[in-house]
Amino acid sequence: MLYIKCPYCGMRSQNEFAYGGDANVKRPELNEEVSDKIWDEFVYLRKSPRGKHIELWHHISGCRQWFKVQRDTTTHEIFRTAAINEDIK
Amino acid sequence: MQKYSVFSLIKNALKGHKDWEVAWKDPAPKSEYDVIIIGGGGHGLATAYYLAKEHNITNVALVEKSWIGGGNVGRNTTILRSNYMHDENGLFYEKGMDLWRSMSQDLNFNVMYSPRGIINLAHSDAQMNAYSRRGNSMRLNGIDAVLLGREEVKKLVPMLDFSDNVRFPIFGGLMQPSGGTARHDAVAWGYARQADSMGVDIIQHCEVSGFDIANGKIKGIRTSKGNIKAKKVGLCVAGSTSVLAEMLNMTLPIETHLLQACVSEPIKPILDHVVTFGAGHFYCSQSDKGEMVMGGDLDGYNSYAQRGNLPTLQHVLTEGIAMFPFLSKLKMLRTWGGIMDMSMDGSPIIDKTHIDGLYLNCGWCYGGFKATPVSGWTFAHTIAQDRVHELNAGFSLSRFNTGHLIDEKGLGTKTWIS
Amino acid sequence: MSQEYRLDKVGLVNRDKKISFKFNGKKYFGYEGDTLASALIANGVHLVGRSFKYHRPRGFFGAGVDEPYAIVQLYRNGETDPNCRATEQELFEGLEAKSVNCWPSVNFDIGAINNFLNIFLPAGFYYKTFMWPRSFWYRIYEPFIRKAAGFGSASKKHDKERYEHKYEYCDLLVTGSGPSGLASAYSAAKNGAKVILAEDKPRFGGSLLTSEANIGNQSGKEWAEKIISELQEMPNVTVKNRSQVFGYYDHNMLVMSERISDHLPETKKFTPKQRLWYIRAKEVAISSGSIERPIVFGNNDTPGVVLSSAAKEYLKVYGVLVGKKPLIFTNNDSAYETAIEFKKNGITPVVLDSRSNPDSEIISEAVSMDIDIRFSHVVVAAKGYKKVKKAEITKISEDKNELGKIENINCDCICVSGFWTPTIHLSSQSGNKTKFDEKIDAFIPGKSKQNETTLGSANGVFNLEDTLKTSFEAGYEISKKITKNDNKISIPQSYEKKQSKHDKFWCVPLPKNKKYKRFLDFQNDVSVTDIELALREGYRSIEHVKRYTTLGMATDQGKTSNLNGLQLVSSIENKVVPSVGHTTFRPPYTPVCIGAIVGREIGKHSKPTRKSPMHSWHEKNNAVFVDAGVWLRPRYYKRGNENLFLASKREAENVRKNVGVCDVTTLGKIDVKGPDAAEFLNRVYTNAWLKLPIGKARYGVMLREDGIVMDDGTTTRISENHYHMTTTTAQAANVLSHLEYYLQVVWPKLNVNVVSTTEQWAGAAIAGPKSRLLMQKLFKDLDVSNESLPFMGYVESNLSGVPARIFRISFSGELAYEVNVESDNGNFMWEKIMEAGQEFQIQPYGTEALSTLRIEMGHVAGSELDGRTIPYDNGLDGLVSKKKDFIGKRSLIRKAFTAKDRQRVVGVVPLDKKTSIPEGSHLVKDAKAKLPNPKLGHISASCWSVEHNNPFSLAILKDGKNMIGQKLFAMSPLKNKTIPVEIVSSHYVDPKGERVRS
Repeated sequence: MLYIKCPYCGMRSQNEFAYGGDANVKRPELNEEVSDKIWDEFVYLRKSPRGKHIELWHHISGCRQWFKVQRDTTTHEIFRTAAINEDIK
Repeated sequence: MQKYSVFSLIKNALKGHKDWEVAWKDPAPKSEYDVIIIGGGGHGLATAYYLAKEHNITNVALVEKSWIGGGNVGRNTTILRSNYMHDENGLFYEKGMDLWRSMSQDLNFNVMYSPRGIINLAHSDAQMNAYSRRGNSMRLNGIDAVLLGREEVKKLVPMLDFSDNVRFPIFGGLMQPSGGTARHDAVAWGYARQADSMGVDIIQHCEVSGFDIANGKIKGIRTSKGNIKAKKVGLCVAGSTSVLAEMLNMTLPIETHLLQACVSEPIKPILDHVVTFGAGHFYCSQSDKGEMVMGGDLDGYNSYAQRGNLPTLQHVLTEGIAMFPFLSKLKMLRTWGGIMDMSMDGSPIIDKTHIDGLYLNCGWCYGGFKATPVSGWTFAHTIAQDRVHELNAGFSLSRFNTGHLIDEKGLGTKTWIS
Repeated sequence: MSQEYRLDKVGLVNRDKKISFKFNGKKYFGYEGDTLASALIANGVHLVGRSFKYHRPRGFFGAGVDEPYAIVQLYRNGETDPNCRATEQELFEGLEAKSVNCWPSVNFDIGAINNFLNIFLPAGFYYKTFMWPRSFWYRIYEPFIRKAAGFGSASKKHDKERYEHKYEYCDLLVTGSGPSGLASAYSAAKNGAKVILAEDKPRFGGSLLTSEANIGNQSGKEWAEKIISELQEMPNVTVKNRSQVFGYYDHNMLVMSERISDHLPETKKFTPKQRLWYIRAKEVAISSGSIERPIVFGNNDTPGVVLSSAAKEYLKVYGVLVGKKPLIFTNNDSAYETAIEFKKNGITPVVLDSRSNPDSEIISEAVSMDIDIRFSHVVVAAKGYKKVKKAEITKISEDKNELGKIENINCDCICVSGFWTPTIHLSSQSGNKTKFDEKIDAFIPGKSKQNETTLGSANGVFNLEDTLKTSFEAGYEISKKITKNDNKISIPQSYEKKQSKHDKFWCVPLPKNKKYKRFLDFQNDVSVTDIELALREGYRSIEHVKRYTTLGMATDQGKTSNLNGLQLVSSIENKVVPSVGHTTFRPPYTPVCIGAIVGREIGKHSKPTRKSPMHSWHEKNNAVFVDAGVWLRPRYYKRGNENLFLASKREAENVRKNVGVCDVTTLGKIDVKGPDAAEFLNRVYTNAWLKLPIGKARYGVMLREDGIVMDDGTTTRISENHYHMTTTTAQAANVLSHLEYYLQVVWPKLNVNVVSTTEQWAGAAIAGPKSRLLMQKLFKDLDVSNESLPFMGYVESNLSGVPARIFRISFSGELAYEVNVESDNGNFMWEKIMEAGQEFQIQPYGTEALSTLRIEMGHVAGSELDGRTIPYDNGLDGLVSKKKDFIGKRSLIRKAFTAKDRQRVVGVVPLDKKTSIPEGSHLVKDAKAKLPNPKLGHISASCWSVEHNNPFSLAILKDGKNMIGQKLFAMSPLKNKTIPVEIVSSHYVDPKGERVRS
């Protein structure tokens, strides 16, 4: 069971969280004219890297905040977690 | 090639089993092939076999980064079925069931195809109705399906919990009598042996590091055993698809996730059928060895680790006991994990790509094992003819643009929710 | 019967407490502190079971978790457990056990015929035969094989036992209480660390229990006792015996199973049988020790062939002799301890040592005790079927290829030692690579990946002095890092006899013309020839070897067999062992009870049950409940002999005619608050929300980004910046997460907060032509006229002093109101409604009547919004704004979604107006077409229209828009039904929607 540092609540076990997928998926702006290609990429295409992955988690049984986690998809090592408005390089 | 039979077994036994030939050779790669299949799992091996058998293309190499049969074909719960609602799936998998029925004889390798029947339990009238929709669709597609009431389920699987002390009582179930199991390793080995005998080079411990592409056309691959030229290349790498796609600068509607399974210690026969729980995500059958083979949910976050965590299995086994109370006293013996190429609508992709001569076979989610023969059969056709077969026409990459999605579960793009 | 193999006065068992037990129906005695194995051996019972494939007789091989043979069916307190290891099962009064995998008895087992056919049953034989005729595999061969396989039998009764879970955090978890475990736990605890020390066995001390070493000025065993009692007294230390740490998972989460009651005749009240511990440890000291590995020789599976260390343990811990004429066969010094122990107890063993001229302190001691030691000697084969009677022994050449003249030697047991294999399972599970240590011919842990340290013999250190030194230091260093304390304790002096080098020898060659089976995996009957065959056939990867031969796949998971298998593969393949590699170590280290993994979430508690505040009223009024997710909702209220159909028909008719009340508490409710709430709703829903006045409700549909309908419901503007959203029961949790995602991740600039209020409100839907009269009566001060409270209006009022929210919304299509009060007042509200409604012939109605009402109105619900349909399909395209953007809008213009013949919801009526159409039927043009018969759509919901008094269904039909008036067939082959139907509008009742506005 992963041990995840919620930026708001601190270290908590994974069963308090829900996963939210690739954090690098950017929704096109509202009312923006986007091509089919860009829209479909947003809806369906995922990099799914082996190694470092920046992803969203939701502290669903806690503060209910969404936040970012940088994790290795092979070892599950978590390098850092950050609030949504912070960048993870 | 030596023929396997009870007679050859006796003959060889009397000679101390010294004369058995290798099941497949261990060749060094040639410099060029007509077709290279990447991935020595079930689908890759089957593709190589059907290329040779159905399309007479034998100048084929199959490259595998590790040992053949070590991916998901060697780490699944061995369930065979074609109990799908959507036509694209139903007809495709039913062709697969046809291939399963004759596979042992076709491959001269006992893959232990065992049509013990698969039962999906229903725990409400609403679920019975949803299963009716699926079962009726199957029947109208010519696939066997039977709707069972509570009493009929009880007769077939008396070990289920029919007491009052259940959270979700059993209302009935949908059964596909021809569904069942097969011996997973044997499938990989049987395909490998026959493909090898027809001239396919099975090259193990050969990891792909890149592709040679010129003018939008595939020219060959780069591997840990050197560069190999090829006119056509087929990708059959399941959970590793996104990694190879990255080498090709492709992004796919796929995420890689971990699915765990486990077996109990072997016990005397207690369960004949394959049974799935309807009020959660749990499935169970008993192997010929006597082990209860159990699987369920994904670990729930992108993962390339072939290892998982206990809470997921705890959850799976909780549903297991809810269904089969007798599991409580058994012991969990072995657990393992496989990495799944989860597609965004839950259905596979078998298609050409924008690169000429490069073909894609992926997106099997956690249902790839049963597809092994028909995936290989249709993929071989797609590669050999450079066009999709009608059976895999729906499994196109373009469906994610056109909206012709094949979503059996109606869960959409959150692949980690099962 | 006397315990003729029990020594007087030796061992740790409690001689004052005699315990009776039964094995295969026969009564025996043992002592408190025995295992079933030690008690059976004490009674001279060596035949306990049969092997998996050849049904060869099997006895005891080890004395603990590594045991491959002694698997029994256990009976305890009226229950039975399959596949218990006799070497681990502690004896209790009244224990009963039976042999497994034999019929009719362990002594005479029909299955043993396989042993005589064994040349026809090599590894993987089943892949080569049983293929003809085609159907015979499933019909004939497989059932036969299945019957022969398996060990014990599962209990068919529900498990009465209770299993519990515990979550724990600690600074240091120590797995094993041998010298390294005690030393590291002790030094860390003394330095202030919070320590958990786990020992699998009932007794602490590990190898110290049976060693002759001294620590400080006392024996190893005494030292262990002293340390343990000190640890047990320390408040920062938890010491657990009978506790196996079986899994090392991510982020230093380890899982341990504690066997609390397995050693007792019955589980005490308020005590679980087992407890599963999830332990999050800052650091882990893996001190799991090592397991002796066998040397492979002919018939090495014969009962009476045991590990030398096990023989010593039976002697020193249990005072039991595995034999009275022992032959000891070794390639190293440790077996001499066993030999000396026998000798001290008056039994003279013969020692065969494969080494030509070893020299060490312990060998000198054995020589001085007149023990018969033969160097360069090996056991070629054990003789005897159900028990060792003799051994064929001989001299072996220096290169281990040539055997000398074979002689027979009488013996009744062969104690074998092929040196030690570190138990690296936990270390490997943590993610560490392993490395092969040439010095000990075994794998040891490589670089540490998580926060763990492997100590002592688990790390390949077999010398007590080094073990104590590194373990004391590790405990100190680890604790210092965590506690920042600096209390270092001195390391005690230790003394043990120096050992000479072991012989790199693990398999005795076969003499010419002999075909003895030499087993590697004892439980699965994998022999040397099986491995040879696998390699000959090209199954060369170690994983292929394992899978083809089943090596290491038995319930002992290859603890004594895997390394010898690797040695064999490496010698045949001419590779070094590390390049052969090994199979992956996965949890669990040892099989774990599934009941313990699951804990308390069984039976009714396997999932939570949610009930509305009015639940007990429903119960008292004969409600029949239905599961709606985890909620229980009244499906109908049974009167007399009514069935579902009659009751729901009555209830629905009453709504259409008079007034009904339905508990709608389960609907999801979300408060949406903030200055940007309207803008947010406008983005979430497909229709326009910016101009909704205060005190008005609106129906809305929300999509996923892929254009599929996610949920629907009404949302009401309570005040300027406050909206009350409702969701379906099923999607409540998902919708909240969805809203939070968009607010926090996508549009963080919107000033809106959302919170679930589902639990805070109890809801009652009051529907029917007389509902206004009832409302007027309930809310005397309120004007509920159509003018003051029109359709989709909202007011706040009070119900006899209880604050209430009143929404004029309708799902039934009738004039209807929904009243919400705070949950605590739910029952009060309900009773008031029922009381006041009496004069209007009010009846409660359940979900079934609710379905009927919505279906004949053509309102879509879960069976249409099935995660595959877009607004158009549900006839909701009118609610899709063309002007503004919203979640999922961009997906709606895709080719498949805009196809001319796109599916759409329609009504379906059987031509005979009598035959109900089963839900899940499909609509086809030609009922007799050949298969596959093209399907045009499916029946999503069916009801008996109370308005028209005939069956009516909804369907999602291809080109539904243009199909009205067409005649098709509804087919349900599952129910053998083909029903001619007509396609009609989905709005079967009040198509203009006048009633809701009346």
